Amino acid sequence: MNDSEDIVRLESVEKTFRDFWLRPTVKAVDGLSLSVRKGEVFGLLGPNGSGKSTTIKMILGLLSPSAGDVRLFGLPPRAIEARRKLGYLPELSYLHPFLTAKETLRYYAGLCGLKSAEAKERTTQLLEMVGLADVAGRPVGGFSKGMARRVSLASALVGRPELLVLDEPTSGLDPVSTKEVKTLVKALAANGMTVLTTSHLLADAEDICDRVMILDHGKSVAEGRVSELGTSLEDFFLAKVGDASEFRLAPFLG
Amino acid sequence: MIGFAKVFWLEIVSLVRSKTLVMLAVASVAWMFAAPFIAKGDGTADGAREMFVRYSLGGAFAILLVSLLAAATGSLARERAAKRLQLTMVRPVNHMLVALAKTAALTLSGASVLALCCILMPFAPGVGDGVLGRQCSHVLKPRLPSPRDEARDMYDAYMADPETPAAVKKAKKSVVLRLLENRAVDHYQTIATNDTVTWRFASAGTAAEAKGLAVRIRFTNQFDVRQDVRGELRIGPLSGVVSNITKAVVTVPLSRRAAEAGVAGAADGLSFSNKGSSALMLRPRKDIDLLVPADSFAWNLARAYLELVSILAIAVAFGVFLGASLGRPVALFVAIVTLVVGEISPSVIEQYPDELETSVADRIGLVLTRFAAEVTRPVAALQPLGRLASDECVEPGETARVVLLDFVAVPLALALLAGLVLPRKQDGL
Repeated sequence: MNDSEDIVRLESVEKTFRDFWLRPTVKAVDGLSLSVRKGEVFGLLGPNGSGKSTTIKMILGLLSPSAGDVRLFGLPPRAIEARRKLGYLPELSYLHPFLTAKETLRYYAGLCGLKSAEAKERTTQLLEMVGLADVAGRPVGGFSKGMARRVSLASALVGRPELLVLDEPTSGLDPVSTKEVKTLVKALAANGMTVLTTSHLLADAEDICDRVMILDHGKSVAEGRVSELGTSLEDFFLAKVGDASEFRLAPFLG
Repeated sequence: MIGFAKVFWLEIVSLVRSKTLVMLAVASVAWMFAAPFIAKGDGTADGAREMFVRYSLGGAFAILLVSLLAAATGSLARERAAKRLQLTMVRPVNHMLVALAKTAALTLSGASVLALCCILMPFAPGVGDGVLGRQCSHVLKPRLPSPRDEARDMYDAYMADPETPAAVKKAKKSVVLRLLENRAVDHYQTIATNDTVTWRFASAGTAAEAKGLAVRIRFTNQFDVRQDVRGELRIGPLSGVVSNITKAVVTVPLSRRAAEAGVAGAADGLSFSNKGSSALMLRPRKDIDLLVPADSFAWNLARAYLELVSILAIAVAFGVFLGASLGRPVALFVAIVTLVVGEISPSVIEQYPDELETSVADRIGLVLTRFAAEVTRPVAALQPLGRLASDECVEPGETARVVLLDFVAVPLALALLAGLVLPRKQDGL
């Protein structure tokens, strides 16, 4: 693999949040470098507050890095050409409550530049794929969390993206739906789609990721192929991040 | 234009399905029909009609303006707070078009409700039958040097005058010029008994050929209107008799009486001969209007409608821009304060002339108010409703200028700014 096949590339990226008076409050990402290669499923793992979501938002162009360089398809993340090849599933389903499932998908299809006939066909196809064809005409405001999540996933895929960014993709899903999502991600990757995902659920990440990076306090503490870890991802993760729970809980457990 | 149509459609769907549009329409139309029962006319049919046109349509417009301004501040700010905006931001859409689409959708909603109000206005109680067919008039003002030019001409003499207060002599030239300019607007002309004065008008020669020409004179100064005010007006072959007993404003129709008078007035000038027993004081810039027949109230209403929609567009664009830059509560606060300051600043400036700038606080307040007035004047100095109510022509040229500036140029510029601010504001997520 060479640099030209890097779909996502971060070099020495830093992100410092500031207060109203521009005083630094927290350094969420500290000198992070990573690359996601074409066709792989890359997992960004780490405890809460480790900088995963901030990193994802910088890759999506929703946040500007304080230092360093972020490239998406070799372009700045806010370039329209880069965004044309991007699909994004946020951590929670932020849907327009007045729209039906079908309207939601057609809205995002329109934003991705799909023509009307193609958008219609793609919408029908995706609603069937996520199992919501029967409720396509219902407003999503009345959907359960799991159903809303499926609509969001379909919305992320509607523009036929080359890179799919998933922020906690199985969050809020029941075990059956979780398995479906994992199967879907594997199938998409098998068809050549590049996937960048974050997850708290290490077992899920272990199932779908080719390569993972573990973040802690905004820094990369480990990176490697899942197949080459030589141990379970959970053990590897705890060894790198540190299992403080026994020490912290000891006074309460007697 | 990818995304524009979709964001526009989404905004319209949200307004319709959240019932915002229906509520706006009901509130505006309800006011239209309730206003005549609240506002009281001056007892005459014309006074009542003027009052009802002004307050029924004006009230409905005010409801729309404030509601749409509030909705506009929330259209981006609320979506950002609900984190839905990021799903649009990561799509291949120009952010300026997102802001522009929201502005267009909200403006169209307001324009639809306002159109409904305009269509229903002739049926509102008190407006009167046949209002749509009433004739309106072009209002021509005497051709005089501009108040600014007059102020410049007066400056040296005023500063050399020993009666000019010392404080004024120490003031900056720009302040003194502003003071003199304000005075020039109210410059009085004294017309002694049996004297004749002539005021020139642009295109008065053509106007003199028109049927139904009239002159409107205001006697609203300290002059006691109960005194004997008599005189004769002439323009070309037309003349009219002024005889004012109790009215503060008289409209004198001019008719062809050349044979009777024996002499014709100047073709481009309106002359007035004071035949009363005492001298008259008039402010030519404010008190003399030549009324030239124009088209009907219906056409006037159509032009006023375009101007009102343009004001809505600029308010909405400003609200959307604020929503792109600030959180919803702050954006709403800034929008309402700007609206209020923009509305009241001209009267504050008029009532607090430079002479009253005695304390630092007064000076700071007036500097800020003047700044607000200067900034908002190009877009806020519109009074289509006042002209519509008093049968004055909303001039097509002015309507075109207003539409170009307020409906097209300024909203485009604000959408461009919003598009630049939007991705940077995401840093606040």
